[in-house]
Formats: sequence, structure tokens, C-alpha cells
Amino acid sequence: MIGIDAKLGDNGHDLAFFEMSFCPSLELVSLVRRFVGTFYLRVLDDADLASRVALATHELLENAVKYSLDGETNIRMEIRRVPTGHDIEIRTRNRTSPERAARLAGNIDEMNQLGNPFKFYQTLMRRSAKSDAPGGLGLARIAAESEMKISCVVNNDTVEVRAHAPAAEAA
Amino acid sequence: MSQTVQLATITTPEFTATPRLDAEVFKLELTGNADVAAIAPLTEMLVDLHGEITRVGARQVVVDFTQLEFMNSSCFKSFVTWISAALDSPSPYKVTFRSNQTMLWQRRSLHALSAFATDLIAIETT
Repeated sequence: MIGIDAKLGDNGHDLAFFEMSFCPSLELVSLVRRFVGTFYLRVLDDADLASRVALATHELLENAVKYSLDGETNIRMEIRRVPTGHDIEIRTRNRTSPERAARLAGNIDEMNQLGNPFKFYQTLMRRSAKSDAPGGLGLARIAAESEMKISCVVNNDTVEVRAHAPAAEAA
Repeated sequence: MSQTVQLATITTPEFTATPRLDAEVFKLELTGNADVAAIAPLTEMLVDLHGEITRVGARQVVVDFTQLEFMNSSCFKSFVTWISAALDSPSPYKVTFRSNQTMLWQRRSLHALSAFATDLIAIETT
């Protein structure tokens, strides 16, 4: 399923979004990132914000694809016009194991409790530097580099991860 | 100092990493899209790269990102591991990253990497 409504502008629309449910291979993630970067650049005319959102999209999708139980992932991207600018949100949703969902929620809690995404990113970099395990930096990278707030909602075997850039920070 | 680099170039459909020794400066040029297909070969190369730098006794390494469209966090983590090894090395060397100001993600990612090793990393922007 693919839905796109990008009518954000002077025509009375306050919300632009697109949503996809698909079974992406990891190789397709880069294609989606390129599309998202182009989409946001076109809609917002803000290259830095488009780059940040594209990076966040890539990291969220790679995580979702890697840990999806059935290979299916839903991604929804919203741009909402508010009085102070544009509110940006990316959501990925997929089925995953309870262990993975709990670990993900714990990691996000740890990051948000510290309240300093860049400091947490540096801590995670030091922690992961000595580890042979691949990855582990993706969500912290979104928070620190894309300057987006990360949260997640777990509902049975489904996890939804949200990356949010409020208007005041996105503008 | 030996002038032969014992590292193979990485070539995937969307990514290349080319190491070479130029005078006494070790150079690594990355091009394309460092996504999931690049993780394993790049991780292996960066482990070997540290060994090669130490073996040839290079004191300066230049990593060229100017043609690098994107790097995912797993590939970025490989750089973190390499830089960590360089920090711990008894034969220290400096690393200069050449970045492309039109690739906007590079400024943020390289800022984070340089904060991880402030005395070791320099950034040049073109």
C-alpha cells in the first residue's frame, strides 16, 4: 500500500504525508531514503532539514527491516503545518519479538532519561567501539544528528518507533 | 617505510573504498553509498587499515568523503572502532577527514566522530 498526499502549501492543507506498507529488502532502504530526501526538499525547501529527515528515515527503516518478524514494515511520514513552522514526524511499525521490543524500549528510555542526545551518542560510541557486534548507534544517531526526539509504542508483538522534530526545532 | 599497501579496494555496486599510500600519507577514498552492502567489507578493511598504517609507520591518514553520498550507522560504527584503535595505538597517527559541504549529513556525522577523538581528528571541508 502506498498513499501520498503532499498538498501542503497555500491551498488550505495543513498536513502532507506519505505512508507505505511493504516488505523492503535492506537494499531498498537507500532508495526510500533518496525519495524522502527529495520529497522533503521539495515540500519544505530546506536542504538541512531534508537531509536530517532522510538520515532518520534510513536508520529507522534499517532497524525495522532487520528486526521485523515477517519482513513487513509500515512507514508513515508527516509534515504538519503549525503556526510556528512545520512539525515533522516519521513512524515505522513492524512486528517483532518481545525480547527485541523490550530492548528497544529500554534503549530509548535510557537515551531520553539522559536528556542530552549528543552526550548519549558519545557514550554509546565509546561503549560500542570495543564491541564486535555490528550497529547499535542508529537511534542515538537520529537523536543527535537529526535532532529528532525518539519514542516507541509496543502493542503485543507490534512496535511503532517515532522520530519527531517539533516545529520550533525544525524551523 | 614500505611503499606497498597490502589492502584490497572494496567495490560493490554502489560503494567503493580505495586505499593508497602517497608519499608518507595513507589515503582512503570512499565513494557512493555506504549502506548495508558495505558494512562487512568496510569493517574488515578498517581493521586491516590500522594494521597497515602501523606496519608502514604512517603518521598521517587522509580519509576522503567528498564523493560519499551516505553512510549508515553500522558503517559509521566501523569508523568509531577504527578511531578507537588509533587512540589506543602505541604508534599514534593523525586522521584528516575531507568532507563535502553539499553532503549535509557529513558535517553532523564528522562532528560527532571528531568529538569522540578531538586530538586525533581534523576535518577539511571542500
